[in-house]
Amino acid sequence: MSRTGFVLWIVVAMVGAAFAATPARADTACAADIEMAVRSALPAAKPGVVGVHCGAVTESRTVNGRLESVPASVVAAEVVLSDGRVATARVKKDEGGKLQVVGVTYQHADLVESTGWGVAVLFWVFALFSIAGALFVITRRNLIAAVMGMVGSFLGIAVIYMMLYAQFLAVIQMLVYAGAIMVLFVFVVMILNRPEDEPVAPSGRAGQVLGGVATLYLVVRLITTLTRVEPPNLEIAMTAPQPQCVTAASPCPEADRADWGSVKAVGGDLFGPGLFPFEAVSILLLVAVVGAIAIARPLRDDSEDSEDGGDASHAHGGAA
Amino acid sequence: MSDILTNIGYGHFLVLAAVLFLIGVAGVLVRRNALIILMSVELMLNAANVTLLTFSRMWGDLSAHTFALVVIAVAAAEASVGLAIVVAVFRGRRNVEVDRLTTLRH
Repeated sequence: MSRTGFVLWIVVAMVGAAFAATPARADTACAADIEMAVRSALPAAKPGVVGVHCGAVTESRTVNGRLESVPASVVAAEVVLSDGRVATARVKKDEGGKLQVVGVTYQHADLVESTGWGVAVLFWVFALFSIAGALFVITRRNLIAAVMGMVGSFLGIAVIYMMLYAQFLAVIQMLVYAGAIMVLFVFVVMILNRPEDEPVAPSGRAGQVLGGVATLYLVVRLITTLTRVEPPNLEIAMTAPQPQCVTAASPCPEADRADWGSVKAVGGDLFGPGLFPFEAVSILLLVAVVGAIAIARPLRDDSEDSEDGGDASHAHGGAA
Repeated sequence: MSDILTNIGYGHFLVLAAVLFLIGVAGVLVRRNALIILMSVELMLNAANVTLLTFSRMWGDLSAHTFALVVIAVAAAEASVGLAIVVAVFRGRRNVEVDRLTTLRH
């Protein structure tokens, strides 16, 4: 298939994905009793309730070996608030037939506001940034340019991780990918590349002056920043507003906590239920290190000219 | 239209991941340089991670973060072994075009 064919295929797939991802909103009106229960459970204070919509009021369940749709035990109602946010209230019918709201979650219940123009601009800028970097990777002839496009793409993806409340993974992404793996790529490119593929850079006297000024600026900024760091103020940290859930009776869902995705939270999961994968990964990394060294080691007929004489004689000793 | 532009939801993140994955697939299929192919594979793994984290946020389940961490570690291992193979192939043949690699010996 030609390259044009591939590009066409990608465009078609993108358009298809955009159509497929248009969210389906629950737009059927709720039963009156459910709406009453939801309205009474929400605080009457400032974000007023504009409308209550119900999703599926039936659910599929196997009854006597057959799949039947029965009235759902828990109905999820979408509550549109007057400030534009959408909350999801789960309404459950208890044994007495009384409706009970078992939990209310805002769409992004953290204090971090993640709707509106700011987050939209942030998302589009960094999404397009990462896509542009990725396109750079697969279109450039110069390998160093491709690697730099990859680094840019990884930076954009790290910001996307941040927007998904995965702070820890965003930092890991920067350290491991942009830091370690890409440096490895640059090393290999440097080993493989012929000298004619030199990167473009201002050279001569002007380049030296430019580099000197840039380095000086960096050093001055670093020093001023480091001298201005203040010790943490515990008083401010303690009085910072805490995230709160709407219904005090139900405990906060895990996703509503402010430290969701933090080092502590991820570590608790990593060293709890995820301990075995963690240990398995350490063995995998060890195997990869040994394998990489074994594969990239010079072959015997390569090494006979100069540097690896000791290694060759060791191999002979092992055979004898 | 402006609703799609300003109202960022989970669908946007999933579409972004799909686009990145497709670019990675196209890179693997179109390019012949082994290094670019390895980078495209890294791109696809990253797209998978974005999807994982989106669903993690959607369902409020932190275990996907552990999963994504494992994916990153596997990607690192894959990159190191892959680059070692590239270096070994280059040492024997003086090029890394995958179209010209038709035999296991050099």
